[in-house]
Amino acid sequence: MVAIDADAVSKRYGTETALDRVDLDVEEGETFGFLGPNGAGKSTFINVLLDFVTPSQGTVEIFGHDCQREGVAARDRIGVLPEGYSVFDRLTGRQHIEYAIRSKDADDDPIDVLDRVGIREAADRKATGYSKGMAQRLVLGMALVGDPDLLVLDEPSTGLDPNGAAEMRQILREENERGATIFFSSHILEQVEAVCDRVGILQNGELVAVDTIEGLRQSMGGGTKLVITVDGLQNGTVERIRGVEGVETAVADEDSTIEVTCTNDAKMDVVVELHGAGVDVVNFRTEEASLEDMFIEYTGPRR
Amino acid sequence: MTWEVIARQDWSVTVETRSAKVLLGVLVSVVLLAGYIYPVAAPEPITTARFSSFAMGGLTMIVPFVGMLLSYGAVVDERESGSILLSLSLPHSRRDVVIGKYLSRTGLVTAATVGSMLGAGALVVYPFGELVLGRFLVFLGLTVLFVVVWSGLGLAVSLAAATRRRALVLGFGLVFLFVIVWEAVVDALTLGLNAAGLVDGELPGAVQFLVGLEPSLVFERATTGFVLPGESVAGPWYLGEWVALLVLVCWAVGPLGLAFLRFDGSDLS
Repeated sequence: MVAIDADAVSKRYGTETALDRVDLDVEEGETFGFLGPNGAGKSTFINVLLDFVTPSQGTVEIFGHDCQREGVAARDRIGVLPEGYSVFDRLTGRQHIEYAIRSKDADDDPIDVLDRVGIREAADRKATGYSKGMAQRLVLGMALVGDPDLLVLDEPSTGLDPNGAAEMRQILREENERGATIFFSSHILEQVEAVCDRVGILQNGELVAVDTIEGLRQSMGGGTKLVITVDGLQNGTVERIRGVEGVETAVADEDSTIEVTCTNDAKMDVVVELHGAGVDVVNFRTEEASLEDMFIEYTGPRR
Repeated sequence: MTWEVIARQDWSVTVETRSAKVLLGVLVSVVLLAGYIYPVAAPEPITTARFSSFAMGGLTMIVPFVGMLLSYGAVVDERESGSILLSLSLPHSRRDVVIGKYLSRTGLVTAATVGSMLGAGALVVYPFGELVLGRFLVFLGLTVLFVVVWSGLGLAVSLAAATRRRALVLGFGLVFLFVIVWEAVVDALTLGLNAAGLVDGELPGAVQFLVGLEPSLVFERATTGFVLPGESVAGPWYLGEWVALLVLVCWAVGPLGLAFLRFDGSDLS
């Protein structure tokens, strides 16, 4: 069964396009990372899922329930950490969890939940006095109530220190092992790389890539990046390299360094081309493209 | 339907706030004070039925303020802060949230009204007065409806506005218009039309109906017609108590319904 099924979802604000015909399937049981720079439309998409925002066009379903027309049914089996929330005035942490338990008709023990997200000792303090990180843990706790089949988390590690972010990832792994589908957005690559089965990259409201991390590397020319140091760059050298078949990008880093991403087969062609241009290669190494390179490749300014 | 969860939570939080305590305290004090003064100040006979016209002045002044101030923040506060997103992330519909808030806020002010009216009724009856139970209960019912109208207007404002500031301005605008300036405007209109020679004495019936749509005036007409012994509302049928009751019900559901449709269709972030 498909956990999330988005079909040509668009959202426009006046002339601004926040989402542009996003098609996306998230399979049950997978951990899906929704990646993109700030302002790419990640939160808008999640807000459509939660019916905070009505799409201009297209539909989204969660477990077969339309998020707009059957919002309650769609949210019935999910746990949510939204963006831009604030905790309730005058309620303690424990009361927040109790509210989620009553709302979901669940039977969790509030203290167990708070313990799991690491804020047990703050259970009886007003949540308005919590730090951002503690509030984030609290709302994650609310999301975990009732063992949801799908967790939708918008930038879950916001406000968490590195330890907190690691604990968060650990919880996500545990939830995924329990059988929950996990959908979370982030602009931080390490997190996505660490836990995700598949990644979708959103750029200016468009879903520019959906693949496994391995698959993204493949599509990035076998994941090969050449760093070539030469004795001196001449005008037009970089352009000539770009013209070589199999080369995706070629960037002159400093006066004497060129970074090239290309298919494996094209490596030698690049060197041959440089030689043909009368440029001496001083040093030459290859690197595996990191997710960060891919990310920049997909979302950075067009080369 | 999960509005019960929302209503319980909102009730328990709201009763703890100082502003709610003060507002409800003022309402209860005014009603009890009316019940205390009426047997002393008003001419014979002292009955719970005739108490209604005495209490009217205080009620039409205090209920709009209390109803509005207790409700105008109910939804917009959480919308502005973002905590409403936590409720709507749970399996609650927006309708559940609104119904829950409505029952909680309206319930609070209704409970305070009913309690203090019963107290006031007792003060009227003991030691000099006469209990006219049926008419007193009708008056109580009409008063609750009037309370529901203003609590509903408060919530309507809370749903229609996107920020607390706008809700406050809109809410106070309504109270100011209906409670403070309406009567003066109607008087000025009557004087002006008389001076111009367009009418002689009273306004024509249709105009009276229009200017009489204001909730307090409708509440007064309904109370006069249903509760006061030996009095009936003069004029054409559409100025009678049954039409007044109908208009009051429209005030209770109309603005809230429209504001809900607006809220239901709007983007929250």
